[in-house]
Amino acid sequence: MENEKKMPQLNPLKFRAKVFDQMLSEDTGYSNYSYWRSTFRTFFKSKAVVVLVVLICAIILMSFIYPLVSDVDPNKVALKRKMWNNRPSWEHLFGTDGLGRDIWTRAWYGVRNSFLLAFCIALSDVGIGMIVGAIWGYNKKLDPIMIEIYNIITNIPSTVYLVLLAYIMNTSYLTLFISMASRGWIVEARFFRNRILSIRDSEYNLASRCLGTPMRRIATKNIIPHIISLIIMEAALCIPYSIGSEVFLGFVGIGLPVDAITLGNIVNQGRASFTLHPYQMLLPTIILCIITVAFYVIGNKFADASDPRNHV
Amino acid sequence: MQHNGHLGPCIFSAKDVEIQFNLRGKTLTAVRKASLDLYQGETMAIVGESGSGKSVFTKSFIGMLDKNGAVTGGQLLYRGQDLTQFKTEKEWLAVRGKKIAMVFQDPMTSLNPVRTIGEQITEVITWHFGTPHAQARQEAIEILKKVGISDAETRYKQYPHEFSGGMRQRVVIATAIACRPEILICDEPTTALDVTVQAQILNLIRELQRELKMTVVYITHDLGVVANVADWVSVMYAGQIVETGTAEEIFSSAVHPYTKALLRSMPQLGVKGHDLYSIQGTPPNLFKEIKGDAFAPRNPDAMEIDFEEEPPLFQVSDTHFAKTWLMHPYAAEHRDALALQDAKEKEKQKPAAPFDYQNAEKLLQVQDLTVKFKLGSREFKAVNNVSFDIYKGETLSLVGESGSGKTTIGRAIMRIYNKVDGSIIFGGEKINGKIDKKKAKELHMQMQMIFQDPMASLNERAKVDYIISEGLYNYHLFDNKEDRLKKVENIMAEVGLSSDFSSRFPHEFSGGQRQRIGIARSLVMNPDFVVADEPISALDVSIRAQVINLLNKMKRERSLTYLFIAHDLSVVRFISDRIAVIHKGRIVELAECEELFRHPLHPYTKALLSAVPYPDPKVERNKTLISYDPSVHQYDAFPPNWTEITPGHFILANEEELEGYRKEL
Amino acid sequence: MGKYILKRTLNSILTVMIVFVAVFMLLRLMPLSGYFPPEMIKETDEATRMSYLRNQGLLDHPLVQLGRFIGQLFQGNLGRSLTVYPKVPIATLLAEKIPVTAAFGFASMIIGIVLGLSLGMLMVRFKDRWGDHLGTGYILMVRAIPSLIYLFFIQVWVSLWLNLDMVFYDDKPTSWILPVICLSLGSIAWYALWLRRFMVDEENKDYVKFALVKGLSKKQVWREHIFKNAIIPLVIYLPSDLLFIISGSLVIETLYVIPGTGGLLTTAIEKQDNNLVQVIVLMYAVLSVLGVFLGDLLIAAVDPRITLTEDK
Repeated sequence: MENEKKMPQLNPLKFRAKVFDQMLSEDTGYSNYSYWRSTFRTFFKSKAVVVLVVLICAIILMSFIYPLVSDVDPNKVALKRKMWNNRPSWEHLFGTDGLGRDIWTRAWYGVRNSFLLAFCIALSDVGIGMIVGAIWGYNKKLDPIMIEIYNIITNIPSTVYLVLLAYIMNTSYLTLFISMASRGWIVEARFFRNRILSIRDSEYNLASRCLGTPMRRIATKNIIPHIISLIIMEAALCIPYSIGSEVFLGFVGIGLPVDAITLGNIVNQGRASFTLHPYQMLLPTIILCIITVAFYVIGNKFADASDPRNHV
Repeated sequence: MQHNGHLGPCIFSAKDVEIQFNLRGKTLTAVRKASLDLYQGETMAIVGESGSGKSVFTKSFIGMLDKNGAVTGGQLLYRGQDLTQFKTEKEWLAVRGKKIAMVFQDPMTSLNPVRTIGEQITEVITWHFGTPHAQARQEAIEILKKVGISDAETRYKQYPHEFSGGMRQRVVIATAIACRPEILICDEPTTALDVTVQAQILNLIRELQRELKMTVVYITHDLGVVANVADWVSVMYAGQIVETGTAEEIFSSAVHPYTKALLRSMPQLGVKGHDLYSIQGTPPNLFKEIKGDAFAPRNPDAMEIDFEEEPPLFQVSDTHFAKTWLMHPYAAEHRDALALQDAKEKEKQKPAAPFDYQNAEKLLQVQDLTVKFKLGSREFKAVNNVSFDIYKGETLSLVGESGSGKTTIGRAIMRIYNKVDGSIIFGGEKINGKIDKKKAKELHMQMQMIFQDPMASLNERAKVDYIISEGLYNYHLFDNKEDRLKKVENIMAEVGLSSDFSSRFPHEFSGGQRQRIGIARSLVMNPDFVVADEPISALDVSIRAQVINLLNKMKRERSLTYLFIAHDLSVVRFISDRIAVIHKGRIVELAECEELFRHPLHPYTKALLSAVPYPDPKVERNKTLISYDPSVHQYDAFPPNWTEITPGHFILANEEELEGYRKEL
Repeated sequence: MGKYILKRTLNSILTVMIVFVAVFMLLRLMPLSGYFPPEMIKETDEATRMSYLRNQGLLDHPLVQLGRFIGQLFQGNLGRSLTVYPKVPIATLLAEKIPVTAAFGFASMIIGIVLGLSLGMLMVRFKDRWGDHLGTGYILMVRAIPSLIYLFFIQVWVSLWLNLDMVFYDDKPTSWILPVICLSLGSIAWYALWLRRFMVDEENKDYVKFALVKGLSKKQVWREHIFKNAIIPLVIYLPSDLLFIISGSLVIETLYVIPGTGGLLTTAIEKQDNNLVQVIVLMYAVLSVLGVFLGDLLIAAVDPRITLTEDK
């Protein structure tokens, strides 16, 4: 054999039995892997994500701090004509609108109000959706009824609720919230129902049932940890959608009253005078787009990062 | 190498192949200088557990490694051509599928679900040979007939979902041989199939091989299958071929410690009442550099040199090579010591006395159990009118093929499926249907379940500590935190896991370790009765014996009663006191273990027993398969009854059949 | 099969009924004053207005009104518009508007499918490379930024840049280009997104690996197996898309002044034109239920695994 030729000098004493070490045989290479750490590491690996997260945090922080520290009234109408439609300057960073209001100030109020509204809608859609989805997923009997409800709710135009509510309670943040949240929850519920259905019948969940684990602990230990990343993703994706809807409703003219300072209203008011004073629309629009794009990207990237298959 | 005992010329030769993968920024060496020669018309079996690199190795023969993997060393010579030099897809296409074909493990997913099976065969013929469609179609029908599909013209137009698993694997094989390849690589071709179907498929491949003079490579972990089919066997461990030789040599005179251990741990060779020989530990991590003999850490009889130097390939006979230091002249003394030790061990083992049913008390009674499932608007009976008793302290095994309803019975007993007809009586009380909360709580503490798939049965987001304590939390079975941790530590020690592991997450463990965690979870509340649902079928061969021994040890120490659900009769024979054979939702025969193996009566039991692979080529090659045809029964006219034909031996039969069976006895 | 269709049809009718009745009743909750434009309220007195309402049957019990409406419906009478186009028969109104919207809708649907699928394939073909980035960027823009904003900028800037008309002229085909493109932007993104996702899913399946092992070229496998299988789940949405070409886009039709159906529903709700709202809601509900139904039939026809005799 050619192998034997190149064999090195061996020590005959090495050919003795060695004591067996149980621990050595069990060595699988402890990887020190943690799901959440890996998720965040994967998430922040992309430079774009880091930039967007920083940007969005800065914008939101600014929108909450600015109204507290600034003494400029966003609704203050200038009586002097020369204060109207001013181009951006050091005094008015984003210029002034047709009534001489400072657009920079209005933009931050708008970001704050729009974000809060969108955040509440996201919270209610995902929150209610998850709870209903869980109940739906756990009760097969509910299936036909829930699908019927889904069909009905998604078939009634949300403008119907909006206009109706507006008549009853006047247009306000609340009516806008109710009418927009009135159909989002069922869409989310259906999404969560499908996910929970697959968890429900998985073996580890059956094992918990065999052990007699109470529902409360099954929810907190078996279900929520597996769908928390979905909750975050859905909530993040809800925000650009809600802001978009608000802009749309403002455009149609059935959104919030004109004196409400939201991004939707600012953009729509700016649009009217766009040909003459494009800066009035452009600058707030850029902020709005940064917010929606950032949340969209963050939601999607987080979904990717939370999938263990993508963990690096 | 010379043509020692080979039928034809060597047509394929892998030399010192090294394959590396890039995973999560780290390099994994999946195959470490493996060499293999394939000769025309012969069958080579590559045996190894998951992660041994056997699949990856053969995939490299046809250039089908995943994107992050590459052959980083060695040569793949096919008819003088070095396949590792191939650069373009076009070069590969002349070999792949045409000269070297491959069949995958799972026939259920290997075929395109939305195209007819005929098209999928025709496609490959027209692609490789440019045959006109009509002619290719004709050829495809011929091939379908050849693989044993009756009424091939009609079935040509059918879709994969209209075929059963075994039939689909026939179609897959038909597709693979459509171009008359020289080499057919079968990657675990029967693992996903039932035993009776497995035997038929193996026969089919053998016949096709003879007819087409193909070289067949089997990749498998099942030594029974190897004994059945192989002329030559190569054993792979940690990316290396550690031993290679003729089937007879490997089965009768293996020299590598891993091969020997693998063969000794087969449940067929175990002696009842004694521990099965088991391989300790888990397979090595291939991300790390492996020093010396990769198997050394798991080999209780390893020598010091095994940890330091990698052994060369020693020649044992003209055809038999092994990569172990034991073959070195210096190791003669150690070798003799081992032989002596083996002989001693064999002597002292006598089978334990069979379970004493005379004085046994009934723990669980299942009476006329029927479980119905709704499939759309139709209803089908997954379990149909089944009755049996389980005695305190015994192991009753429920054996059947997939879809036979065996798991459903286990889950009905565990009250996972609670809407069942008939009654389940545990400790004298009816437990199916509505029961009060207190009783349900008691039951959870008395009855537990062990699940099949260790990968799916542990909650990935919880630490081992929580997983094992779950039952303790539910019923607050501890005084304080220390007490709970101590209980967890104790049970972990019992299942052979270090208590350091308790703060880790499940995915850091290997399959066998995870299954032991699952067992610890089920036993921490000290149940009396355990339903073990195929607890070892998802595990690697080298791990199975460990878990079987653990289950037996727990049973002895805690006087447990098991309902053991399985499809593998060889394991069942070793572990159980009585066996119930289930077919299509009905138990067809139930008897004490040895009685059933000695006097099987029901034709289905006979078919099942005849198909069980046995790890000995002499036995395997001379066996005759019995096939079962349900139409032999005339149950429409004379419905069968569940009858005790001799004491303790039950059978499902009608009067006429009973007559026949009585004569047989 | 027949039984299945019958069951589904009855179920669909029920859904439509519930949606319709719910909207019908909600509309009757609106205040009576909403039926009159502000100037009319100034000019007329209470008695005239009440008698007008009585004549229109709007003071009857809602259920009586419902019964009357359904009765008329069976005679093929959709009623007349109240406030949006006073006294114009709704059937005439729709007959005028639907063809315009449908023509745009159909053109944009074709463009959406062709370009969307091409973009999707490009993204998979060059996965994680330029094609993918391009497509992802496009999808991100379209889905994250509120449509109103980019549609507005397209109207203002692209029309200028390409020297196209900013509004729609009935007799000038070049003025149709921009609205059609705008209308198809969303569906291009939708088809690209899902085709990519489904193709990536299919790509990792065993049968694809087996097809490659058979020795087929990658190109052949992509074309014959991956693409064809990935397209099947998209087919289910085709009927809905086709039916909803008549619904039009409010934003685009408003921006380009297209006399279509896009803004009709919102205007009608706003002006409380109950007759018109009812008809439109009924029409949309029928279309949506019918779309889902036809989608199921279609997928059963193309996917051999699905048969119509069993639910799911």
